[in-house]
Amino acid sequence: MNYILHLLVLLTIYLILSFSLNVLVGYTGLLSLAHAAFYGIGAYTSSLLMIKWKVSFPLALLAGVGMAVLLSLLVAAPSLRLKGDYFVLASLGFQVIVFNVLHNWATLTNGPLGIPGIPKPSIFGVKISSIPAFLAFSSILSACCIFILVGILKSPFGRTLKAIREDELATLALGKHITAFKIQAFVIACGIAAVAGSLYAWYVTFIDPTSFNLNESIFIIAVVLVGGSGNIKGPVVGTLFMILLPEILRFLRIPDTVAANARQMIYGALLIFLMRYRPQGIAGEYKFE
Amino acid sequence: MPSQFIANGIVSGCIFALVALGFGLIYHSTKVFHIAHGVVYTASAYVFYSLLILLHLNLILSFIGTLVFSALFGLILERYIYYPLHKRGASMGVVFISSLGVYTVFVNFIAMLYGNETQILSSSAEKAFHFGSVVLTRIQLVEAAAFLLLSSLTLGFLRLTKWGRLIQALADNPQLVSVIGMDVRKIRLLIFSLGSVLAGFAACLVALDVGMDPRVGMNILLIAAVAVIIGGVKVFEGALVGAFLVGLLQNMVIWQVSAKWEHAVTFVLLIVFLLTRPEGILGERRRLEEA
Repeated sequence: MNYILHLLVLLTIYLILSFSLNVLVGYTGLLSLAHAAFYGIGAYTSSLLMIKWKVSFPLALLAGVGMAVLLSLLVAAPSLRLKGDYFVLASLGFQVIVFNVLHNWATLTNGPLGIPGIPKPSIFGVKISSIPAFLAFSSILSACCIFILVGILKSPFGRTLKAIREDELATLALGKHITAFKIQAFVIACGIAAVAGSLYAWYVTFIDPTSFNLNESIFIIAVVLVGGSGNIKGPVVGTLFMILLPEILRFLRIPDTVAANARQMIYGALLIFLMRYRPQGIAGEYKFE
Repeated sequence: MPSQFIANGIVSGCIFALVALGFGLIYHSTKVFHIAHGVVYTASAYVFYSLLILLHLNLILSFIGTLVFSALFGLILERYIYYPLHKRGASMGVVFISSLGVYTVFVNFIAMLYGNETQILSSSAEKAFHFGSVVLTRIQLVEAAAFLLLSSLTLGFLRLTKWGRLIQALADNPQLVSVIGMDVRKIRLLIFSLGSVLAGFAACLVALDVGMDPRVGMNILLIAAVAVIIGGVKVFEGALVGAFLVGLLQNMVIWQVSAKWEHAVTFVLLIVFLLTRPEGILGERRRLEEA
């Protein structure tokens, strides 16, 4: 039973990640390879604040978001002026740099050993330590994030993003400041990804840099592309599929030594297959061409 | 001992340059951001290891076998992955993600077969040569010689032969190439096999020098991509300039700070270039929005 609850907690975390990346990939047409970096920035910022300075959890959460927003502005403002290809590269560069900082700045981040003993959040003096309680907590947080994102996407702002995705030039001709819209979308997506980071840190109570490396970024992209991007149900389907797929594979009785590799191979093959035959994913609206 | 680090920087630059030359050739002429170039490199290293150590073939034979494998691998990727997408007119993003998929599948396949540990080909100490205060091993000298030979051959091929000029033409204007009746498919196959052979060659040399693990390909691919962009995508020689710059910079960082920051510094260099000179060192200056 606890195992199913554990899966559900993971689902709530990845829903936040896939919904936020969907704002970029599906609505704005920006492929960011740095999503795991911002996820990690959120996790590290809030964990360090809670451990070293005993900051309460809502403040730590906000600080994580703030840090991600600040850094995403730093990445977005210059690189989004460039054309698509170059933005992908800048985001890849940022991902590698963040991983290296987390991995190598040992005095702050404890390097490859990671940070153990991250305190669980507590509300009115009650610690949220049991899995069912944590599931309730993470569901509420996740629902809030998705609510905010969906609200934004249904607003005129979201429609402008879609217009940019479909035809930049035409949107520009309508008098929209394209770069400003892209920067805002990027900052929002990265800020929300940081929430998922804090949630992950509180849940596992241990973080290390390998949870936020390039492979993780690729995994999040795969979640969005498999489900399909550009609408609301796509990321939901993708998250369900990609989180539950390893569990289905368990029934195939693949030996543990090769299970991780086999899983990665299936993700890779899925990406190739989708790009070739179904660029809109399982349930998406935006045909990634 | 700065001169030692400069020498090491130049030698690692030679290897980066071989991989970057192949990557840049493919990227410039077919517009494929060939992430799977990294797995062509990794797979070549492992094929070399299998032929040399597991099958006990001699060095030359293993080398030739590996290069044939690299060329075939490149050909197959182009034929079955990239060309169908090209024909459909897929965007750079789609090709990029497919390539990422190919990389993921094969790297994990290699890790499954050979394990994640580092494999070492030769455990004996390499013969060292002294040039004043600089010490270079035999394999480092071979790497430098291979670079000189292969890069001049490749650039000569591109500049002087008919097929080389067709590759340049494809880079400049693909529609025009098919209009004059040339088979774009064949030119692309040539480009991919040539680029892959360059990567395979570098992979064998590095495998002899320091061994390999399944992740080496991604590291060197990222370096090659950075080298191509800071050198200038639109000029084949740009990859070489960029590769030496990255090699020297990494060794300066190893000397002055610590080896663990070499990757971070490489990407800081990339971002600095993207912000200040996105067309690269040798690239023609123009507004990137027009490109």
